Amino acid sequence: MIRAAKRVLVVVPFPMTPEQLSKRAEQKDEVDLPASIELHYRSTRAAPSNYVSAHDYVLADLTLLEAGMRAEEEGYDAVCIDTVSDSGVSALRSMLSIPVVAPGKTMFMTALMLGRSFGVLSMWERWFGLYERTLRELGMEERCAGMRSIDTQPDSRDLFEGKEEEVLPRLHQAAVQLIEEDGADVICLGSTTMHQAHGYLQERLSVPVLNPGPLSYLTADAMLALGLTHSRTAYPAPLVPKPEMISAMLAAAAEAEGTS
Amino acid sequence: MSRVLVLVPFALDDEGLANREAQLSDAGVSSDVFYDFRPVKAGPASFQSPHDWMLLDVAILEAGLGAEGDGYDGVVIDTASDSGVDALRSVLDVPVIGAGRASLLFALTLGRSFGVLAQWGPALARMRKSLDDWGLAAACAGVEHFDTEPDFAGLIGDKRDEILPKMEAACVRLVDGGADVICLGSTTMHEAHGYLSERLPVPVVNPGPLSYKLMEVLLSAGLSHSRQAYPRPLVPKEEMIHAMLDAAAAES
Repeated sequence: MIRAAKRVLVVVPFPMTPEQLSKRAEQKDEVDLPASIELHYRSTRAAPSNYVSAHDYVLADLTLLEAGMRAEEEGYDAVCIDTVSDSGVSALRSMLSIPVVAPGKTMFMTALMLGRSFGVLSMWERWFGLYERTLRELGMEERCAGMRSIDTQPDSRDLFEGKEEEVLPRLHQAAVQLIEEDGADVICLGSTTMHQAHGYLQERLSVPVLNPGPLSYLTADAMLALGLTHSRTAYPAPLVPKPEMISAMLAAAAEAEGTS
Repeated sequence: MSRVLVLVPFALDDEGLANREAQLSDAGVSSDVFYDFRPVKAGPASFQSPHDWMLLDVAILEAGLGAEGDGYDGVVIDTASDSGVDALRSVLDVPVIGAGRASLLFALTLGRSFGVLAQWGPALARMRKSLDDWGLAAACAGVEHFDTEPDFAGLIGDKRDEILPKMEAACVRLVDGGADVICLGSTTMHEAHGYLSERLPVPVVNPGPLSYKLMEVLLSAGLSHSRQAYPRPLVPKEEMIHAMLDAAAAES
């Protein structure tokens, strides 16, 4: 008997044009995605401009929560968040019973299945706070051999477009330093926006390179297959959910930002 | 005269706000500092779920965003969860203090370990998260609760006879478990502080009043948070944040 494919909602953390969204969706082609899931991409209605400050983190949590909080009633079987920051995951888990995959946590846990330590390869240093936050929550700071960046402000919408020749060799050099100087057994890409570098790096490096977006899709598939979801003890439901209020807030945000 | 803004994490009426302001009398605050209590515009109905925590982060950020422009010299957050503190620090240069982390760190100047008195079972998830986030789990001898639903506006009020002995029993369990210091796990417990201090053999830290005094220390010493630890946003979104909370208030 052929089972119908499970529907997975992938929430992209910035308002986007269809063309920009399709660049995010290209991630699914970088792994051998099983036919048991189908991915549906949706961008948030508003967003912080970057993820470099606690101000931004709070807005990211809220905007991702709003974009995904109705996933279960919309008929989705799981939710993935298209950001290594894991923004919004805890709040979404508190409101949803279906699996909500956190790409950051998933990547670091997976890295430790593949090696003793990992290094985080990033576009710019201002993202390091996001990784530190997740590692602290996991109690895994000591397993991180190092973090390195190429000191380049990323483009969250157009990604590497037209900058491949400049960016890719520098990422490779930083990854080599993580491995040879810092002792990383595994390289973790510090953003789902770096997915276009994965193939290039993996061909040239001697250690596994984790691509967090595609890894999160595969993890969703595994959780669905195993009938697993998050623990309600760890993510208690609100006594009084406020979805209307949250939607109204995001409608106001989109209006204020001109993204509605 | 310095002016300090105290952000109250629920949209309380005047009576509820007055119950919060009563903490000032426990603190022996300086006459050189004027404390102005301001509730958030909207927020969660309870505080037991990541849904609630996140809404409170945004609500407190919005309530305090303009503090510097309004002429305040410091901001105190009237919740031991420290909701909104990090985000406010990222946009303000004046000192911002939450009652939670500060009270636990302060407890460690008084003893080797602390025990935390929580309100009820649903409060434990947040308490564990805070201990992990702040890197203080190893110093925590235990967390005990007294199994009583919180009343964020009325606080303990006329239920003293029923509630205070249960709080004391939970504190005794913490002390028996090795706590050198008791930290009240919520600013809403401030009315119990005197009762518990009289009856327990260890110091009892009252987070709200402590936070006022620590604010005065910072103001006196000319200290504020490190910009290295709390970087500014590249693009602050003040208008958007205000619009969201106005919308939330209209909805609730």
